[in-house]
Amino acid sequence: MEITLRIRRYNPEVDEKPYWAEYTLENVERTDRVLDLLHRVKWEIDGTLSFRRSCAHGVCGSDAMRINGMNLLACKALVKDFVKGAKGRIQVEPILGLPVIKDLIVDMDTFFEHYRTVMPYFINDEEPPERERLQSPEERAIFDESTKCILCAACTTSCPSFWANETYLGPAAIVQAHRFIFDSRDQAASERLAILSEENGVWRCRTIYNCTMACPREIPITQLIAEVKKEIGRR
Amino acid sequence: MSTLVMTVREVLRYRGKEGQLAWIGHRLAGLGTLLFFVIHVIDTSWVYFWPAGYEHAIALYRSRPFLIGELFLVLAVIYHGVNGLRVALMDWKPRLWARQRELTLAAFVLTAVLYAPAFVIMMGHIINAWSATGVAAR
Ligand code: FES
Repeated sequence: MEITLRIRRYNPEVDEKPYWAEYTLENVERTDRVLDLLHRVKWEIDGTLSFRRSCAHGVCGSDAMRINGMNLLACKALVKDFVKGAKGRIQVEPILGLPVIKDLIVDMDTFFEHYRTVMPYFINDEEPPERERLQSPEERAIFDESTKCILCAACTTSCPSFWANETYLGPAAIVQAHRFIFDSRDQAASERLAILSEENGVWRCRTIYNCTMACPREIPITQLIAEVKKEIGRR
Repeated sequence: MSTLVMTVREVLRYRGKEGQLAWIGHRLAGLGTLLFFVIHVIDTSWVYFWPAGYEHAIALYRSRPFLIGELFLVLAVIYHGVNGLRVALMDWKPRLWARQRELTLAAFVLTAVLYAPAFVIMMGHIINAWSATGVAAR
């Protein structure tokens, strides 16, 4: 099949502002991934096209981008998800709310700053036991979903609250906080909840569900955010 | 300012689902109602400060454009209330996220059901007012 790839391009050293470029690719398979198409453009047509990718299999979280209007991983988005007939168009642009460095590459600094704000690591100052700190399967299940995050930023950059205010910690940081708040072995839940109950914490979430729809790992993000909201209310 | 413009533009461009649509409606309804309240508080205060202005405002509220505007006002109030309850419910029962599509559609339907009688009554008033002024003009 024939696919026209419409890509939002921008090189701040040369271009005054971002623009749309179109590339027509032939012999595209229905099962090709959008990432494959980007590779073909870069390798066969225009080597200056810039984007991030590493694993190419939905594990590293490097290639979140807005594809046909929705945040997805290019390596998990198949051509057949967007084009049914023998010909079609697919539109790719950078995720929104973070500064564009070049083409599809955005500056993730703000995103990772928010990530660090919630102290995304295990905190327990007690003397370590001789063997593992034990946890029941039920206790583990409470935060099972939040362990799946790959920090691709698809959720945070799909959130209108984050677009409007980049100081909002955003869904990804809240999911990471959830991971430790509800871990029975961790001891810093109240510190994290204090951070999340501040102005730029969970209360900027308007329960819009864009993040849940965008998550490539199918984490029920809005549910986890609501659980954190309730936990703040409970304490 | 540019962030606000960007957010409004992208809210229209991003392919969010029902949740995003419900939220846009919620914002519009909320801001619209707030605008009306502010204006209304000001013109009601004129009873005290500027009675002639108050009379004028009340006459304005009885004019056709305002009667039609009132149709939107009631819709906005009902939708904002119903959808607000839905959001509160979904935050209270986080696992309802799996049913978010159905619940959002249910909020739309419930709004329509609650709005229907109000719409019929108000439409009746508007039509009456119109035929009355028609008679007067003749
Ligand atoms: S390239 Fe690693 S997640 Fe897509």
